[in-house]
Amino acid sequence: MPVAILILLLLLYAAARRVNVFRAFCDGAAQALPLLRSILPTLALFSAAMSLFRESGAFDRLTSFLSPALDLLGVDARLVPLLLVRPFSGSGAIAALSDVFAEYGPDSGVGLTASVLLGSSETIFYTLALYFGSVGIKKTRFTVPVALAAMLTSVVTGLLFSSLFFGH
Amino acid sequence: MNVVILLFLTVGTVVSILSGRADGVLTALQSGAADAVSNALRLSGAYLLWMGLLNIAKEAGLVRALSRLLSPALRLLFPDAGNAKEAISLNLAANMLGMGNAATPYGLTAMRLMNERNPHPGVAVNGMCVLLAVNASCLELFPATLVGLRAGFGSTRPAAIVLPTLLSSLAATVAAVALCLVCIRPCRSRS
Repeated sequence: MPVAILILLLLLYAAARRVNVFRAFCDGAAQALPLLRSILPTLALFSAAMSLFRESGAFDRLTSFLSPALDLLGVDARLVPLLLVRPFSGSGAIAALSDVFAEYGPDSGVGLTASVLLGSSETIFYTLALYFGSVGIKKTRFTVPVALAAMLTSVVTGLLFSSLFFGH
Repeated sequence: MNVVILLFLTVGTVVSILSGRADGVLTALQSGAADAVSNALRLSGAYLLWMGLLNIAKEAGLVRALSRLLSPALRLLFPDAGNAKEAISLNLAANMLGMGNAATPYGLTAMRLMNERNPHPGVAVNGMCVLLAVNASCLELFPATLVGLRAGFGSTRPAAIVLPTLLSSLAATVAAVALCLVCIRPCRSRS
């Protein structure tokens, strides 16, 4: 419902501003397939690595090893791959999230929490490398600690809001 | 990133061999890679639709409108950004509207402009650190790709995660902004 209203408002606003909606949509959508093509190799590498990690039994061992600590923090062990990959690679995080969706479903408790965690965090190390690399900055001063603190905040509040909203 | 992926692959292979399931390694890798294609197909609908809709929003001037709305707050966060201010506000506005691709060129322009007046090349100026820190907290008004991916996997409530996601990233943004303000204060009094 809210999404429908959002789209309606956007269309009305664009019409009022005399935007050629047809052309603008097609110009934007034209960039979608090149983007998908460009993330496919990363997606494949991560999906392959995660599939191997799970099928080998390594994932079960890791989660049973980590579960006392994770239980204490209130983190579902099935979220670990997503949390590990998220700061480094956007496509990797999408692969990890798709993995959760395929195994447990997007509306399962873990599927909902994983969605919130992915949506409220960012591929910080990739962005830092890209932006600072572009102007040759070596000393990043307080950026990394602040970015990590923001990431940690989003994980903590993400878990909190997921349990508040979805009650699990 | 290299380290993380190497870890996943080597540990997965070693554990497979140790537990006598070495034959499964190739199957697991290949089915994973094939998953990437089906997942990309599930994403394709969301990408086509939202990149189209977002481009309508952009041509209707929504990015510019939002960046004007942001500019008072930005004066506080980027007191000495000078001519990079416009690129900064466009970068943040595009990010908030979920246009990561449109945001990147603005962000890189902002970095270049700030670096032109950098007294110590190689060392980040305040504005760069704040831009990256705010970017890292990822305040997105509507996570279109995420909702699309959920719908692609057959969710009955794909948009149910929008509000908790927004609140959670808002908390992260507030934390990032507060920490940045604490960090730039002492530096400014020193200079």
